[in-house]
Amino acid sequence: MTDHVDANLRALLADVLGLGDERAAALTSDSGLFGELPEFDSMAVATVLTEMEDRLNILIDDDDVDGEIFETYGNLLEFAERKIRG
Amino acid sequence: MGEYHLRIGPDASPHATILFVPPLFEEANRTRRTIVQAMRLLAEHGLLTILPDLPGQNESPTPLVDVDLSCWQQALADVARGTDGPLIVASFRGGCLIDHGAKADAWWRLASVGGASLLRTLLRARVAADREAGIASSLDGLQNRAANEPLLLAGNLLSPAMLAQLASAQAQPVEPLRSIGLGPDGVAGTSLWLRAEPGEDRAMAAAIAHDIDAWGRSCGII
Repeated sequence: MTDHVDANLRALLADVLGLGDERAAALTSDSGLFGELPEFDSMAVATVLTEMEDRLNILIDDDDVDGEIFETYGNLLEFAERKIRG
Repeated sequence: MGEYHLRIGPDASPHATILFVPPLFEEANRTRRTIVQAMRLLAEHGLLTILPDLPGQNESPTPLVDVDLSCWQQALADVARGTDGPLIVASFRGGCLIDHGAKADAWWRLASVGGASLLRTLLRARVAADREAGIASSLDGLQNRAANEPLLLAGNLLSPAMLAQLASAQAQPVEPLRSIGLGPDGVAGTSLWLRAEPGEDRAMAAAIAHDIDAWGRSCGII
């Protein structure tokens, strides 16, 4: 499951942030997102959340979302996996 | 006051007309260049292509807060009525929610999306921006306010009627329809409409033009 979620999430970030395959593949769990990637503004945060819901088939509650999940790629992946486990 | 329409193609006796219905709000800006590239390619085949400004969008003289989805549906029906000969409606994303009032010979839809999903992203952008500004807001709180007052969401001032219609809008059945997504069974390309910074994709524009042309032919319209 992890590989599938990881691949989905990378593709999603590539789509929203226009990263291209190379930059998306180069993301590590320590890679910074919000505040680090100039493309990652509040509209991008909103788009990423809605796309995560659609593509990973999860529901994201407003209260689950704090600044931390967008700090690094690793945090975002961990958040996605936690939501999928329910 | 009239709305501008971008028209590309022959002035007289086109084989057929393709009415392009753009995505809604910011998604329209992110896809405009690629849609127009597809229009140019279709125009080279003798087709007339039209991309109308929806009231309240682009160069429209109408304030966005004065319109809603019904109004956009009506505006498209009016544009369709003003065309001659066979007509194909080609809609993208949220454009698929407002294309069924137009009288056409065939419909083509790419990456159709529900209004609720579009609204959720707009509300979330507002919550995220509020947070950055140190204001506490929530999806629920905004949704409650939406019943009685216009909301400014990601730069769009939307009326209670628009917000209510978006919340429940689904693409409506039309016939004949080809409804596709991205990928091997649809158009090869990426979801440009999601991009934080607008891009363009010439290969995708060519794939769009080719698919619309093939659909028109299989319906016996082109």
